Amino acid sequence: MRHLADIPRWCDDVTDSASPARFARRSLLKAAVLGLRDESDFSVIAAGNGDAGAAERPLIYTVTGRILDVSPHIVVLLTEHGEQRFPLAASAEAWRGGPVPPAALRQGDHVVIRRRLPGAPVIDRIWAEIGRVTGTIIERDEPPGLLVDEGPAKGRRIVLIGPQATGRIQVRFPRLEPGYLIDVIGLKQDGYLQALIPATSQPPYRAGHPPVAPMVSGHVPDPASGTAVWHEPGEEPENLLGLAYPALDPETSCERAAAATSACSGDLHAVEEYAVDPHATGSGCVRLPYLSVGSLVRLRNDCAERARVVPVTSCGATARLFCDRCVTCGTSRKGRIADLTMAAFVELGGALEVGCFNATMMIGS
Amino acid sequence: MLTAIREVQIPLLAAMLLGACAAKIWRALRAPADTGRTDPAGLFPAHLQRPIMILVFAAELGLGLGLIGTALKFGGTRPALPATIARTGTALFFLIAVAVLNETRQRRPASGCGCFGELSGTPIGLRTIARPGLLCASAVATLGLPPLRMPSSSAEAELWLAVLAFELALLAFLSPELGEIMVRLGYSEPCELRRVPVGRTMTALQASSPWRKYAGQISAAPPSDVWREGCWRFVVYPGRERGRQVDIIFAVYLQSRRPVVRAAVLDADTDEVLGPAGTRESAVI
Repeated sequence: MRHLADIPRWCDDVTDSASPARFARRSLLKAAVLGLRDESDFSVIAAGNGDAGAAERPLIYTVTGRILDVSPHIVVLLTEHGEQRFPLAASAEAWRGGPVPPAALRQGDHVVIRRRLPGAPVIDRIWAEIGRVTGTIIERDEPPGLLVDEGPAKGRRIVLIGPQATGRIQVRFPRLEPGYLIDVIGLKQDGYLQALIPATSQPPYRAGHPPVAPMVSGHVPDPASGTAVWHEPGEEPENLLGLAYPALDPETSCERAAAATSACSGDLHAVEEYAVDPHATGSGCVRLPYLSVGSLVRLRNDCAERARVVPVTSCGATARLFCDRCVTCGTSRKGRIADLTMAAFVELGGALEVGCFNATMMIGS
Repeated sequence: MLTAIREVQIPLLAAMLLGACAAKIWRALRAPADTGRTDPAGLFPAHLQRPIMILVFAAELGLGLGLIGTALKFGGTRPALPATIARTGTALFFLIAVAVLNETRQRRPASGCGCFGELSGTPIGLRTIARPGLLCASAVATLGLPPLRMPSSSAEAELWLAVLAFELALLAFLSPELGEIMVRLGYSEPCELRRVPVGRTMTALQASSPWRKYAGQISAAPPSDVWREGCWRFVVYPGRERGRQVDIIFAVYLQSRRPVVRAAVLDADTDEVLGPAGTRESAVI
C-alpha cells in the first residue's frame, strides 16, 4: 500500500532542467491510457518530439537571435544554431520603438524575425529589443516611473513612460496609480522598460477584484474564445513555442511559488499592500479547465486564420486579472485565454507591437 | 380591498430595503477594498464610490428600520410625522433609484444594478428599472395610512395574503436576482473546474481494480509523475514487467463517486504500449 506521505510535493516548472522530458512525455502517456494514440494530432506531435522536450517544438516562421550585421538586403543573426544569414524581402518592415527601415537596426540588438513562408530564408518582419510589462502597478514616481508586479512567477519590473508616450498611454490607461493594472509594450533598456505603446485598454476595476466569471453548467465550453497575448521569455528559452496557461492545476503546479526577487533595490514593504496574488483572486472572467505544464492545446489566431498545437509551458495566472478584450480583428470575447511566448505569438501570425489577437483555443480532443 | 393593499406595502418595502442592506454587507465583507465597481457607483469618481455606497447602505437601513419602527407606534387614526417622513423618504429613494438606473443603463450598459450586491450583476434592463418604480408607487400608496393593525377577520387575513402573494410574484418577475439565486442553489461545478486534492485521487486509485491488477509490478513507492488535464488526473509509477523497465500509468476521472480508473503499461525505453490501453468512449477532459 502506498501512503499519501509517499507523494512528493509536485512542482511543475519548465525551466527546471530535469523536467522538460517529463513534461513532453505526458501527452504520450495520456494518449496511451485514454486510447487517443491514433486519433489526435496532439499526440502525434507529442510522440514526434518525445525526447526533445515540450519546450523545443520546431518553429517554422520564427527565428530569434542577436544581430551581427545588417544591410538593406540581408541580416546576419547569431542564433542557437550559430551564425545565420537571412535575405530581406523588398517589403520587409522592422520595429525598434516604432517602424524603422531594417538597415536602421543596430548590431547587438536582440530580435525576433518572421519568415515570409514556412521554413523559407526570406524574412518580412523584424522586431528589435521589444519588451512588454503586464501586471499590477505597486509604486509610482514622477515623472511617470512605475514599479509593476508581474505576479509571483515573474517578479517586478520598472517601467518608465517618456513625455512623448505619456499621452498615448494615458488614453488607454488613465489610472497609472498603485493598485491598477497596466499592460504596455516598449523598448527593453538596461534594467527597465521604456513604455511606448498601450497593449490593451485598462480594466476599470482594481487588480485584486476582477469580475467573477459566469457559472458553467455541464462541461466547460470547448473550444474557448478570448484574447491571446504574449510575454517576454524571462527564464524560458527565447525560442520556446509555448504558452503560459491561466488555469494550471493548483494541486500539482508551482502556482504559489515564492515571489521572485525584485528587479530593483529599495524597501518594498511600502508597496506590498498593492501587490496582488493572482491565484487568490478567483478564476477571472473566463472559466478554463485545469491543465498542467506539458498539456497540449490547439490555439487558433482568428485574425490570421492560423492554428498550431502549443504546449503549456508555464503558469499564466496574471492573465486572470485582465478581463479585457482584443480588437485586432473585430471584438474578441472578454478575458485572456493564453499568454504566449514571443516565438509562439509570432509563429501564430501575431504582430508583437499590436499586443494581442483574437483567439480560439481547443483544449480537449 | 384598497386599504389591505396599502397596509401590505409597509412590511414589503421594509423587507426589500433591509434585504438589500444585508446583501451589500455580504459583498463588502467578501471584497472590502472593491473600488472598481461595475454598478451605478461606478458612474462616480473612484474616491467617491465607497462613500456613495456607504450612503446608499445607510439610507436603506435607516428607511427600512424607520418604516418598521413607525408602522405601529405613532399616530391614532392618522399617521404621525415620523411615519410620514419615513414613507416619503422611501418614495423619494426609489424615485432617485429609477433615475440612476436609467442613467447607468445608458452610460454603462454592461453594468449591473448592484441593488442586492453580487447577485445583481445582470446588465440593467427595463425590468430592473421597473422594480424601483413599482416600489416607489408602493411607498406613495402608504402615505396617509394610519398605524398598522392585525386583520380583524379571517377573510381580511386571506385578502392580505393574496395581495402579498401577488405583489411578491410581481417583484420576482421584475428581479433578475431570483434567477441567479436559483442557479446558485442548484449549481454543481463542472469536474474540469473542481479543485480536487491529490490525496483524494490516490485514495480513489488505490481502491480500484486496475490498481490491484498492476500494484505488484510497481517498483518504487512514490509516483514518478502526477498531473491533471481537465477531468482526468494521471499518475505514473515506474515498474518492471518480464525484466523490462516500464511506466505504469493510471488515469483517474475526477468525480466523487465511483470514479472511472484506466491503466496502461508502456515500455519505458521504446514507448511501446504493453498493457491495456483505454478506449475512446470516456476520453473527455
